[in-house]
Amino acid sequence: MRKVYGIQLLLLMLAISILAVAPVRSQQKKPVVIAIPVGLSGVNSVVAPAVVQSAQLAADELNAKGGILGQPVRVVPLDDESGPAGAVKAFNTGIRQDKADVIITMETSAARNAGAPIAERAKVPFIYTSFYEGRACGEYLFVNAWVPEQVVPPLIKFMIDEKKVKRWFAVGSDYAFGRGMIEAAKKTIKDMGGTILGEEYQPLQQSDWTAIISKIRAANPDGIIYSTSGGGPNIDFLKQLKAAGLTMPIGSLSIDELTAEAGGNAAEGVYYTGDYFTGIDNPENKSFLEAMKKKFGAELKTPNALSEQEYDGLHAYAMAVERAGSTNADAVIKVLPTVVFKGPRGSVQMNKQHHAPLPIYLAQVQADGKTRVLKNFGLIDPGDQCPKLK
Amino acid sequence: MYTIQLLDIVTTAGILYIVALGLLIVYGVLKIINLAHGAFLVLGSYAAVIATWLDWSPWSALVIALVGGAAVGAVAEWRVLRDLYVRPLDTILATWGLNIIIVQSITLYFGREIQFAESGVTQAVSVGGVTYSLYRLILLLIAAVLGVLVWLLMRRTQIGIVAQAVIMNEELAQALGINTRLVRFVTFCLGAGLASLAGALITPLVSVHPNLGVPWLINAFMLVMVAGVSLGNLALAALILGGAQVLVSSYGNPVLGSLTIIILAVIILRFRTITT
Repeated sequence: MRKVYGIQLLLLMLAISILAVAPVRSQQKKPVVIAIPVGLSGVNSVVAPAVVQSAQLAADELNAKGGILGQPVRVVPLDDESGPAGAVKAFNTGIRQDKADVIITMETSAARNAGAPIAERAKVPFIYTSFYEGRACGEYLFVNAWVPEQVVPPLIKFMIDEKKVKRWFAVGSDYAFGRGMIEAAKKTIKDMGGTILGEEYQPLQQSDWTAIISKIRAANPDGIIYSTSGGGPNIDFLKQLKAAGLTMPIGSLSIDELTAEAGGNAAEGVYYTGDYFTGIDNPENKSFLEAMKKKFGAELKTPNALSEQEYDGLHAYAMAVERAGSTNADAVIKVLPTVVFKGPRGSVQMNKQHHAPLPIYLAQVQADGKTRVLKNFGLIDPGDQCPKLK
Repeated sequence: MYTIQLLDIVTTAGILYIVALGLLIVYGVLKIINLAHGAFLVLGSYAAVIATWLDWSPWSALVIALVGGAAVGAVAEWRVLRDLYVRPLDTILATWGLNIIIVQSITLYFGREIQFAESGVTQAVSVGGVTYSLYRLILLLIAAVLGVLVWLLMRRTQIGIVAQAVIMNEELAQALGINTRLVRFVTFCLGAGLASLAGALITPLVSVHPNLGVPWLINAFMLVMVAGVSLGNLALAALILGGAQVLVSSYGNPVLGSLTIIILAVIILRFRTITT
């Protein structure tokens, strides 16, 4: 009897000790959860897989260094269906169910406008990693990609100074972003003493640009500036322009590396600006691209101007948490503007009203559709995006 | 300026004619609106992508498109449409479903991103003192050739004459021992093949992605509604509606221009006397 009692006591003590230790152990292991509501379906589904891959690489790198404040990093991709309704679901799932510490993602503007207030109310920091039309503000909202003020003026200035384009023709797709970009371009052209011979907008669904091309031919400008919706419409317009035999310098506010390459020689000679190109020549970009290739192999989605910023976003957040000493949202957003992450784009700091001055590059599409980076304009300021914020 | 506008009008009409031809033939003989027409256009565009992958001449894409489109059309007619002709309203649902199946299959295999397809002709030529896209002029020529070929097919061949009999009076044709089932099958294959061919033909002008068919389907639909079942009427409708679109886009703006075809089609339908 006595002996049996002893064993029971021993078991009881063991059980108590396990119970006592268990919460401590689980607290040490509690991961830092990074939610990524992104358009896995819908219009953004072309680019979304690359965004998720960027996040996965950054998470691997952070975990290899022991995580953030010793806690492992977990990324949770969620489908926002590229629109506002899906974004509301994805943000709620990420915040309530997955208990996200932060949201870092690239989304459509409509999805962001729907999701940002949810993050704001729940007091969850939200780092938006897509270039956009500008002026989205919130206490918990930070942006590490470009706004029109950063990419439009350098492109126009280059074409006026170096390509001697004085008389312009402006072409856009008939939607908010296309019109906004053309407005920004017109303002820069006027400020620099250029003239605008014509301005035309094409309905989004229409892929025959004949009438606009004939108007351009009749106006005979020195150069063209255009902004269609992303992807296909760029190639529709450029193919038809080329077939019509118009050869003046063209500046694009809507083309990207993948689209240019898919267009073959259609986009040959087109100038465009941006904060990220695979051809940026610096050690950080080289090691980023190598690491992506090593991690994903044949599954790799080519990193691009909408996906690389996700990688920067995770690293900047990790640095902010380390500096704040906790994942507490208010502590993190306080130090986030002080963090500088030197990544593939260069050094990026979100210190201008929650936006970031960015290194902006000029690139040109080559005959084989590949993009070549011509020069680095250096850090370009986003201007007054959110005057109410610091 | 007038030379350019004249060229714009005739080439736009030519392209519209090419795109609507397959839809018109199916409508004429089968009395159904093939809402999968847009999907067959997309198939043709991807034939151009495949030709590029195989490193074949861009012109070979036309053959791949015609044969491939007709083959897919054959399977669709055999498995889906054959038993639905007596329920015309259901064919709208069936062909729209077919449209979704084809487009989604392409999306699954190729992805949503745009694809690269080599073009045979990209240069411009000088016509009447202006430089103009050579490919658009070639399309105008192809439209004319296709028009004549289909006309000859309908007037000078056995199957064409039989098809005409079916168009005029199906029950009588059947009573005379004409195999209307075969006529329908061949016509649908031809319509699907022509739609696919049109897709391959417009590829040098546009980017290739799974949804490229939708705007073309809408325009083709309007043209066929106005033209009825006559090839000559289709050419006339393409010239009037396409011409109006070019003129409104040139003197007004392209946003209004894109509405022109639809508005004009509605007006013409309202005042057209029924001639079938």
